Amino acid sequence: MTDGDLVARTVSFCRALRERGFPVGVEHSADAVRALAAGTLESRESARLALRCVLVSRPEDLRAFDDLFEDFFSASPEEPQPENRVKFPFPEAPRDAEEPPSLARWLKQGEEGPDDDDPEEARSASDMPALARKDFRDFTDEELEQIERIAARIARKLAARPSRRTMRSHPDFTELRFRERRTRKTRIVAICDVSGSMDLYSRFLLQFLYALQGSFARVESFVFSTELRRITESLRERPYASALRGLRDSVRDWSGGTRIGACLSTFESEWGRLVDRRTVVIILSDGWDTGDPAELSRALEALRMRARRLIWLNPLLGSPGYEPLTQGMQAALPHLSVFASAHNLDSLRALERHLLA
Amino acid sequence: MIAPVAVILEQLSREAYVADPAIATSLHLAQVLEKPLLVEGPAGVGKTEIAKALSAILSADLIRLQCYEGLDAASALYEWNYARQLLHIRLHEKNASHATEAEIFSEPFLLKRPLLQAIAHSGKPPVLLIDEIDRADEEFEAFLLEVLSDFQVTVPELGTLRANGRPRVVLTSNRSRELSDALRRRCLYLWIDHPTFEKELSIVRRKVPGAGDALAAEIVGFVQRLRRAKVAKIPGVSETLDWAAALVALHASKLDHAMVAETLGCVLKDESDLRKVRDEMEAGRLPLGATA
Repeated sequence: MTDGDLVARTVSFCRALRERGFPVGVEHSADAVRALAAGTLESRESARLALRCVLVSRPEDLRAFDDLFEDFFSASPEEPQPENRVKFPFPEAPRDAEEPPSLARWLKQGEEGPDDDDPEEARSASDMPALARKDFRDFTDEELEQIERIAARIARKLAARPSRRTMRSHPDFTELRFRERRTRKTRIVAICDVSGSMDLYSRFLLQFLYALQGSFARVESFVFSTELRRITESLRERPYASALRGLRDSVRDWSGGTRIGACLSTFESEWGRLVDRRTVVIILSDGWDTGDPAELSRALEALRMRARRLIWLNPLLGSPGYEPLTQGMQAALPHLSVFASAHNLDSLRALERHLLA
Repeated sequence: MIAPVAVILEQLSREAYVADPAIATSLHLAQVLEKPLLVEGPAGVGKTEIAKALSAILSADLIRLQCYEGLDAASALYEWNYARQLLHIRLHEKNASHATEAEIFSEPFLLKRPLLQAIAHSGKPPVLLIDEIDRADEEFEAFLLEVLSDFQVTVPELGTLRANGRPRVVLTSNRSRELSDALRRRCLYLWIDHPTFEKELSIVRRKVPGAGDALAAEIVGFVQRLRRAKVAKIPGVSETLDWAAALVALHASKLDHAMVAETLGCVLKDESDLRKVRDEMEAGRLPLGATA
């Protein structure tokens, strides 16, 4: 391989990683080439270790990296162009595919509200009481702004803590090392259901998470329907439109079915370390679980043990006559510190109280 | 394996650090690309030890910044020694002379904290270990990024201090919090997982030579099975080493059930784990034996 080939191939390898969602920038391509130039090209294995060190930054990505490396730098260099050999495990849906349900469409549109509510679109819960959505019919831009304001206020309260030092004005030695006791800082982990039955609420709740993350740094956000996805970095993007673009690219099955139990188990095993005794875990879901209730129960119990509080916000709770009778909800209830609604602005205001408790 | 990597492996091994090519490669690249190395992995796999071994093979000083919740720029960078400044002023008052501002804001009154120590270090660039960065706050992470990007610090009263040569920076994280992408982007990355049977065995042989080959293999085999048994607090290599040392002190030459039951507290630090494992052993589901 000539130097030029090497550079070209490395750069296209970096591009392929970027397309798969690796946080790989231009500077990484340069580092990758320099790393290979630093003598690590001697064997395929040493090149793999070197590129991995430069281009991977999370253990979750190691396997995907190795697979792609395998495709790109196969043992025989005479193979066809690398691009043709790259196989992505999550192929993009064809562009002209049938229009996905409304949340996905909303993500595409960015700022426009949900279209007229076709009950058939909410896949797994088409038998859901129609009343449950009424509250969002009059969803206006003004209300979006209100969500931001409420989120910002909650965030300010969470972030408030006593000043670190009060010493500078005291010339007395005994006062010099005095510090006020620091309060333990609250962290939030939010896990939001974006499956079909949640369509009408997800927009509202994501907007809330977006605003909350914007003014409060210690929030980790996840979404799930059949798979769990961390979206903290996507929501960090500003302005909202580009955050939405990021979400659209990273979440593959908006508005599909639900596997709450399986997704929360995944969360527990892969991300459980983010949860400790000062973490409030908020689950936003209607509890229409198609999975095994025992699995859901186990996952919640484990989370409850780690977290300071486990809050479940169920938009359906806002509709008169709703009772949490679904199997999923039944399995969940014993483990929750708070079970509350999240269907309108008032319920978000109430959330403030739960978070600060 | 390429020459510089092989050399580093060999040097690490001389420092009694059992490494693998991935570790040696990342140290080599950190040197060549002059980037900080972010080391992540479960507790007790030897992340901090890497920095110590690195400073030993470079014969460079090791400067350690232990992170904790609430760590702020002042405790990481520098503070003025108020007590000393005040003493100085009072002494001068007694002698009816004046302490000038320039006097009390000079180097003798400056308390250098680890980051400034690393920057103001004279002679060979030191190894700067920023330990458990995940325990510091996000605000501190942002501040650290700034320092790591140019290795210079402005102390308003003294002027700008610049590092002579770039310190070698090693950051470690237990992942109790996700680090920002900005920090990850700036660093080379090394993930250290729990060691394989072979690697752990060679670590035990190396660090607890008294254990003997047969016992060492039994110890490592058992710990490896414990890790797969999904205990809540998975034991790290350091626990394996503690246990091996304890067994050697008890003159054990072979693992048996009584011996394991007595000393299991070296490996498992959680009451429910201990109970669970004892039950498993009684039920015969957790055999003793010198295999992975």
